Amino acid sequence: MLLTPQQAVTESQRCLYCFDAPCTQACPVHIDIPKFISMIKSGNVIGAAKVVKSSHALANVCGKVCPEEIFCQSVCNRAKQDTPIHIRELHFFATQHEAKNGFASLREFPKNGKKAAVIGAGPSGLGCAFELSKLGYDVHVYDAKGLGGVPKNSIPAFRLSEEELGSDVDLLARHFHFHETSVDSEAFARIRQQHEATFIGVGLGLDKRLGITGEDLKGVYPVLEFLERAKENGSRSNFGSRVVIVGGGNVSLDAAATAKHLGAKEVTLVYRRSEMEMKVWKSELLEAKKLGVQMQFLAQPMQILGEERVRGIRCRRTRLSEKVDSTGRPVPVEVPNSDFVLDADAVVVAIGQQIHAEFVHFFERTKQGFIKVDEAFQTSLPGIFAGGDAIAGEGTIVQAVAQGKQAAHSMHEYLKDRN
Amino acid sequence: MTDIDIYPTRDLSYDFLGLRFESPFILAAAPSTDNLEMVRRAFQMGWAGAILKTTSIEGTRVDLAYPMMSTFNHDGKKLFGMGNIDLISEHHIDNVEYNVRMLKKEFPEKIVAASIMAGRKEDWQRLVERLEAAGVDFIECSFSCPQGNIGEDPGKMLAQSIPATELTARWVKEAAKRVPVSIKITPHVTDIVEVAKAVKRSGADALTASNSLQALMGIDIRTFVPYPQLNGRSTYSGMTGPAIKPITLKTISEIARNVDIPILGTGGASTWSDAVEFMAVGAGVVQFCTAVMHHGFRIIDDLKSGMSQYLDEMQFGSMKDIWRKALPHLVTHDELPRRTVRSHINDPLCIECEACYVACRDGGHMAIDRRPTRIPVVSEDRCVGCGLCEYVCPVEGCIEMRVQPMN
Repeated sequence: MLLTPQQAVTESQRCLYCFDAPCTQACPVHIDIPKFISMIKSGNVIGAAKVVKSSHALANVCGKVCPEEIFCQSVCNRAKQDTPIHIRELHFFATQHEAKNGFASLREFPKNGKKAAVIGAGPSGLGCAFELSKLGYDVHVYDAKGLGGVPKNSIPAFRLSEEELGSDVDLLARHFHFHETSVDSEAFARIRQQHEATFIGVGLGLDKRLGITGEDLKGVYPVLEFLERAKENGSRSNFGSRVVIVGGGNVSLDAAATAKHLGAKEVTLVYRRSEMEMKVWKSELLEAKKLGVQMQFLAQPMQILGEERVRGIRCRRTRLSEKVDSTGRPVPVEVPNSDFVLDADAVVVAIGQQIHAEFVHFFERTKQGFIKVDEAFQTSLPGIFAGGDAIAGEGTIVQAVAQGKQAAHSMHEYLKDRN
Repeated sequence: MTDIDIYPTRDLSYDFLGLRFESPFILAAAPSTDNLEMVRRAFQMGWAGAILKTTSIEGTRVDLAYPMMSTFNHDGKKLFGMGNIDLISEHHIDNVEYNVRMLKKEFPEKIVAASIMAGRKEDWQRLVERLEAAGVDFIECSFSCPQGNIGEDPGKMLAQSIPATELTARWVKEAAKRVPVSIKITPHVTDIVEVAKAVKRSGADALTASNSLQALMGIDIRTFVPYPQLNGRSTYSGMTGPAIKPITLKTISEIARNVDIPILGTGGASTWSDAVEFMAVGAGVVQFCTAVMHHGFRIIDDLKSGMSQYLDEMQFGSMKDIWRKALPHLVTHDELPRRTVRSHINDPLCIECEACYVACRDGGHMAIDRRPTRIPVVSEDRCVGCGLCEYVCPVEGCIEMRVQPMN
C-alpha cells in the first residue's frame, strides 16, 4: 500500500530517531533509516529517496518487496512502546515520490582505468556492478537472461511489476557494459583473463527433483519453470483448475499465490513438516491462506499419478521425530498405512534449487553445493569473488545486493594490495 | 562502511558580513559549542560555523545550579519548547581563545565566532581584543541572557535599555579592529525597532535576533513546585525550541522592515524549512541550538539536503535568493485587502469527525450545520470566513477558504 503524504508524515513523526539505530544495523545494506525518515518528516522526500538509494542499488524493488518483518522492522525500538514504525512503507513512499517526480541524476564516477567483470545480472551481480562503477571500474556484466535475475524472471508480476524493476535496473545499466550472453567454462576462462577481478552472482536456477515416479509426466513443473511461464504468459497461462505445490518455502508460496491469481480453483500446498518449520515470511503465508490456498502439512509425496498427463499425487502422512537435521528442524518420518491421493491438473515441485552454471566445477563448494567463499567473499580461485544465492542458497534480494556491494569493496582492496 | 556519494552536491555557500559561509547553518552559542571536541565533530559532520558559548573576563564567577533543563511538553511532543537555567560558559577566556585558535587552524573554511558578556567597558573591550587576536571570524555580544546578567542592574537585560545598549555596543565596536560584531538582543522589549536602531547607531555590524524567551516552564500540580525542580525551589527559564519560532519570525521581520542592518537569525529553527522562513523575513544566516541538543549534530544532513532540494525546486541560483522574499507581503492590519471569504468543505475528503462543526458552533459563528451523512455543510449566510475550521480539520486540503466574487 502506498501511503498518502499525510500518512507518511504522521508515521514519520512516530520514529524515535534512535542513534546507531537497530533498524539500520538490521538492514543488510544498512540504509540510514532514521535519517531518511526524518527527511520525510521535514518535507524533504527527494532527499529521503536519495538516502535510501545511496545505500541500495535496488531501492525501488525493495521498497515494494523487502520482507521488513525479518529485517529493520523486527528490531524497531518503537515496538517496545507501542508498535514498530512501518519502515518499508515509508521507504516505498520516498522512492515512489522520486519516481513520480523524475529520478535525480547521479554524479560522474571518475574512472580508475581498471576492468572488472560480473557474471550474473541478478540482485548480487547488479549490487556488485554498481558499487564497482562507483569505485571507478570499467564494469562488464554478463547474463543470458537479461538484467534483473530472480526479480525479473520469477518474482510474480503481482508482487513486482516490470516498471518497478525497470526503474532501478535502467538507472544502474548506464554505469556498466552489459553482454546478454551465457557463460560456459571457456567463456569464463576468457572473462577471467580479460578482467582484473571477477564477481560471480549466478544465483541458483536449477530446481531439485523429488526423485519419485511420475515426475516426468506432462503437467509437472519445476517451480522456476512454472513461475517463469506464468510471468511470461500472464493470464494466458493455463495450468488447470487443481494445482498442487510441493515444498515449504517462500518460492512455494509464490507459486501457490500465482496459481490462485491465474484462476486455479483448488491450490494445495504439500509440506512434509508442520507450519512451524516452514522457512517463509509470515506475511506471505498469511496472504496464501487469505487467497484460499489449502495446506497439507505433514505430508510426503510418494508418487505422481497419471498416464501421459498428471492427474494426481499420492502422499503419505508423516510425523516429526525427535531427531533434528542440520537446519535444526525435526526430521519427518513416514506414518505407515496413511497414504492419500490429491487430484491435480498440475504439480509444481518447489523443494529447493541448485546452482545452474556450467563453470561452477572450477570452484571449491560447500556441503550443500554452493560456492565456497571467505569473509571477503573471495572464492577458492584468487581474484574471483561470489555472492548472492550461489553462495548461501535462497535468500533475499537485499541480502544479495549487500553481498555484491561488500564483495565489490573486497575486490577493490584485493586489487589495491596487488598494485 | 560509509556509502559512496552517488549524487552531486549542491553548493550552498555565499557571502554575509564580509565572510564566506559554506551554508547558512551555524551553531548558536550554547552547550554544543562549549567544548572543542564537540565543535570539531560538528564541523566534521558539515556545520558551516559555530559561535562558541558565551565567555567572560577573569574574576567573574559562574555559579550554575542543577538540574537546569526542563521542557514544555505539548500534545505528546516532548520538546515542543525547552527551558534552561544555564548561565554563560564556565570556561575561562584563555580556554576559549585556545579553542578558537585550534578550530581556525584545523578548519580554516569554517566560521568560528565567539560570544561574550561583561559588565565594565574595559572588560568588554579586553574580551574583544583577545578574541580578535585569537583569530575569530566575528564576535557576538550577549546583551540578553534572560537567566542572569552581569552589570549594574542585575535581573534586567542590557538589551532592555536603549541607552545602555547603544553605549555598550559602541564600546565593543570601538575595540573591534578587524572583525564584525553582532549584538544579541531579546524580544522582551516594548519596541524592538528602537533597540535595533540603537544598535545601528552604535556602529555595530549586525544583530542576532533573538535570545531565548523568559518563561515559567510548568508546575507540578501535586507538589506545586515549578520546573525545573531544585530541591523544592525553581526559577524562570529561558525557553527555546519550536514553541518560540513564531515570535522569532516576528522579531526578525520587524527589524528587517525598519532598520538596515544584517541579522543573524536564531530562536526556534529546527528544520531546513524553518531556515528558509527565517531567511525570507530577513535573516542572513540561521543559528541552531535546541534541535541539536535534542537529536545531535547529525541533523545537518537533512538541513543541507532539504535546502538543496528546495533551491532546485524553486530554481534559485543562490541562498541569497531567499533573502527578504516574505517581507513585501507583510503589511499593517489596515493595509490588508478586504474581501468576502467563505469556508468550503470538500465533501469527498471529509472523514466525518465533525471537528469543524463543534469548533464553529462554540468558537466561531455557528455557521457549520450537521447533516445525517455526518459530512457538515457551511452556511453561506452565517459564515464570515474566519478560517478556524480550516485549521481544526485533520485532513489536509479538505476545508479551504474561497474568495467570493465581488457583487
